Amino acid sequence: MKLIAYHRPAALAEARHLLRELGAAAMPLAGCTSHSFVKGDEERIGVDLAKIGFDTIERADGGFIVGANARVADLQAHRAPGWVLDRVALRFVSQPVRNMTTLGGNIARIFPWNDFPVALLALNATVTIAGEEDRQLPADIYFDGQPARHFKAGDILIRVFVPDVGAGCGFAYRKDTLVSMAFSRLTAAVWLQREGKTIRDARIALGAAVPLPLRLELVEEAVVGKVYSAELIADAMERQIAALRWRSSDAFSEEYVQQLARAHVPDALEEAFRAAGGGRK
Amino acid sequence: MNIAFTLNGKPQELTISPNEKLTEALRRLGVYSVKTGCNEGACGSCVVNVNGRAVKSCLMYAAQVDGGCVETVEFIGSLDNPHPIQSALVEEGAVQCGFCMGGLIMSAKAVFDKNPSPTDEELAIHLDGHLCRCTGYEKIQSALRKVSSGAAS
Repeated sequence: MKLIAYHRPAALAEARHLLRELGAAAMPLAGCTSHSFVKGDEERIGVDLAKIGFDTIERADGGFIVGANARVADLQAHRAPGWVLDRVALRFVSQPVRNMTTLGGNIARIFPWNDFPVALLALNATVTIAGEEDRQLPADIYFDGQPARHFKAGDILIRVFVPDVGAGCGFAYRKDTLVSMAFSRLTAAVWLQREGKTIRDARIALGAAVPLPLRLELVEEAVVGKVYSAELIADAMERQIAALRWRSSDAFSEEYVQQLARAHVPDALEEAFRAAGGGRK
Repeated sequence: MNIAFTLNGKPQELTISPNEKLTEALRRLGVYSVKTGCNEGACGSCVVNVNGRAVKSCLMYAAQVDGGCVETVEFIGSLDNPHPIQSALVEEGAVQCGFCMGGLIMSAKAVFDKNPSPTDEELAIHLDGHLCRCTGYEKIQSALRKVSSGAAS
């Protein structure tokens, strides 16, 4: 991709107008750290969203409203009861990249290395898109395929509501890379609600190892309402592994990432279960 | 297109291509401490500070710094008057070829500007975007620990 012109609108309305006028030639810019990896010489007109606002993290009823322009470093630095995205942010590439990449940029287009979709799926987040009217999309719908299909010309992702991880609930995140700042080979996130020794509810998401991030519904169905059991989870994982299409590359085979899933998903479930019991949230 | 920004404390105007990366623009301006290593955001030799944050200039369009403030290692010290981070790196033998050092020093400066006494863990987190093929990292860590403890000259 090659930028042949660059605009930096100062407000949402101006940005929406520019994107509508430019149509398919426009490339919204929200951090730009992925651009070096977009192949080809297609000419596009950059519309940098950095100055339109939506870069804060605010407490809201039951969670947090995160502006799409909030940088990963801001998510990393934020501290509040029930806030867990700092843990996801901390594993994101490296500090100079965390200082540049925005949450919106990381979820507006899904590359295999995007880390936040799995966390937002597990946390049951809601994405807000500004268009003719603001639209709110649950993560399950937003991430069910490439998000581009939710955007008409002039639409802009402006914020994400992230529910807090409250009492009796736990969250865990796993990211597997060859070296610490390499692209993810597998990401997994678990949100879990516990009642005694029973898993009352769970949302389990997997990314990078599969073509698009998704929830592990067979594992969720197997564990919800049941007493926590490593054997139960292992059995459900085998059924889930057999049911999924896996991603491979020159660097790793499908069998290898399946093995990563066998290791990381149960580990994340165990950590979330312990956290829900009063340990780390 | 034309941009205007503050480069190492001085106003700077520059005509750029919209597709030009900050690394290329800075080197065109003679700021040769900014190295193009991997050119994909991995090695850290291109790190500069933009508005106080360490960023990888190979991933950033030059247009993005219009109106902003860019600092490179040329700004923070010299041979005659090195910054304490630079002194500590030399004293600890943490510099060999020096290719990675301009970027690494700018990341370290961004950390110390916010917190003069970061812990080892904080330093490790904030310097995880830098690859050094010469010294191993141990001497770099001990140099930065020296700065953190106030023992650097």
